[in-house]
Amino acid sequence: MRAKDIMIPIHDYLKPDNTLKEAVKLLRTGFRGENLVGIGVMGAPVLDETGNLVGMLSMTDALRAVYPSYMSMMDMGSFTWDGMLESLAQKAGDRKVKDIMTSPVITIREDDPLMECVDLILRKHIRRMPVLDKAGKVVGMLYMRDVFFAITKAMLKEDNGGEK
Amino acid sequence: MSQGIVTTNQIVMGASFWIATSIFLLAYALIIWEKIHKTILVVFGAALLIVMGIITQEEAFTSMDIGVDWNVIFLLISMMVIINIMKPTGCFEYLAIKSAKISKGRPFMIMAILSTVTAVVSAFLDNVTTVLLIAPVTLLICQAMELDPVPFLITETLASNIGGTATLIGDPPNIMIASKAQLNFMDFVYNLTPVIIVVLIVFILTIKLIFGKHMTVKEELRQRVMAMNEKEAIKDPVLLKKSLVVLAMTMIGFIGHGALHLEPASIALFGAGLLLLVSGIKEPHHIFAEVEWASLFFFIGLFIIIGAVVKVGLIKWMAIKVLELTHGNLMGTSMIVLWFSAFASAFVDNIPYVATMNPLIIDMAKQLWPNLSGIGLLHHPDLMPMWWSLSLGACLGGNGTAIGASANVIVVGMAEKMGHPISFRKFMLYGMPLMIESVIICTIYVWLRYYVFNI
Repeated sequence: MRAKDIMIPIHDYLKPDNTLKEAVKLLRTGFRGENLVGIGVMGAPVLDETGNLVGMLSMTDALRAVYPSYMSMMDMGSFTWDGMLESLAQKAGDRKVKDIMTSPVITIREDDPLMECVDLILRKHIRRMPVLDKAGKVVGMLYMRDVFFAITKAMLKEDNGGEK
Repeated sequence: MSQGIVTTNQIVMGASFWIATSIFLLAYALIIWEKIHKTILVVFGAALLIVMGIITQEEAFTSMDIGVDWNVIFLLISMMVIINIMKPTGCFEYLAIKSAKISKGRPFMIMAILSTVTAVVSAFLDNVTTVLLIAPVTLLICQAMELDPVPFLITETLASNIGGTATLIGDPPNIMIASKAQLNFMDFVYNLTPVIIVVLIVFILTIKLIFGKHMTVKEELRQRVMAMNEKEAIKDPVLLKKSLVVLAMTMIGFIGHGALHLEPASIALFGAGLLLLVSGIKEPHHIFAEVEWASLFFFIGLFIIIGAVVKVGLIKWMAIKVLELTHGNLMGTSMIVLWFSAFASAFVDNIPYVATMNPLIIDMAKQLWPNLSGIGLLHHPDLMPMWWSLSLGACLGGNGTAIGASANVIVVGMAEKMGHPISFRKFMLYGMPLMIESVIICTIYVWLRYYVFNI
């Protein structure tokens, strides 16, 4: 199997000038799964006006946008207060996607084998990646859970002695 | 006095002289230009000088006069190792939160106490390390109390540079001066600590005038800070106790190193070795990996480049020129050294500056007292105020601008990342007057202590 066999065709994407507020709305209602139900996604690609991939915005990036970077410098988790997250989240809402997104993006080609996806997921610690066609345009998203389902299928076939 | 002064004609200005001088000047210019990392510049410059035979490898690596000053390098490495072991214990978070609570959440008191704590810690640890430990907690406290953190960050940085001046180990220029001039820890305590205490007190009073009135905090925000339990900061109480015992032993070692006839680097290395042994760390790899090798190689490269220009006679030529300018008036020279060092250090890195000034002062002394050598020359009573002026000027001068000292650069960078940019102008608006104020105090001190009362 190849990346294009299990990818979800591209449906939702963000623009660099979207605010984080707009972005989280999209993440919350984004389509996912084979039936394209709007149950939310954990990350979305960011495309510029010409459709080129410029970044990825994930849940982790949203968390990082409200997390003051001084906290990462020292062990201060026990000195936070009730309401801190809420007030920082309100401030972060107006930040632009381009300032928060992860860039450059780790991508895969639609004809790349699934083992290459596993390799990227494990070595780069990512859970989803945009799938590019030969021209370099984003055609879909490949999610870790779909790779997992591909593995499950392969495994259970073997356990059944090759039966379908 | 002037009979000892030779003329610059005695210096051979051959090919070696001009090659070494060009590399030295080019390295300085490129360091100021900041397009290539300063460590890369000096390491390449040093290697070039060795390969071209201007200074031999043996001289560069082993000469006491013109080679790498390993005393400085090992003192820095050892202190970095001690800090790397202590950092995860949480003692610095504890100290900062405790300071804020002692202040009862009153904003100016927090500023004054945090600045004082920063100054005191900086006297014993590297300034950059100190601000890296205090600034994040300051940002947290300011966020809790909804205060603008910029005045806090600026005053802490200035306090760090002031405090660092107080002791031999507080600031790299002092470590370098101590090693070259063979001054011990207690020499610094006797000669610099008293004036630094005065400078710090005046500094706190001045920031009270500048910031004191504008800061108010609502009661409920104050409660956020008062509700923090500083004891939760301590992650490893056992390691903390061990670290504090070793640190105390190291400090006692520093106080007595002159009497024990041990170099400060030996004391620090013993402290680092002992703490590594008792800390129970199984795999020391990360402790050594976190040592700031780029800074250390900056020193190494710089020492070799300076060694080369000492060898070819450039520094001697400069020393003669300075003496010609001041007509051998040593009080005048001290004052020039103090003020020139302050303004030079405000705009250029004080480490290469002091690395150049050290041999220059020694060469000046050789011109003045050609029959003396060793300690007799380095500790000539008329030369001592020069060392103290160099230290005070170079360390305090760093407060003048945002690029004057490494601690300033680090804090400005951190503030920008946190969304509170401190412009070059804004830093200078506070830094420059406070720096000039501190140097005026030092001028009066040097004049009274060494030229009026002679003590």
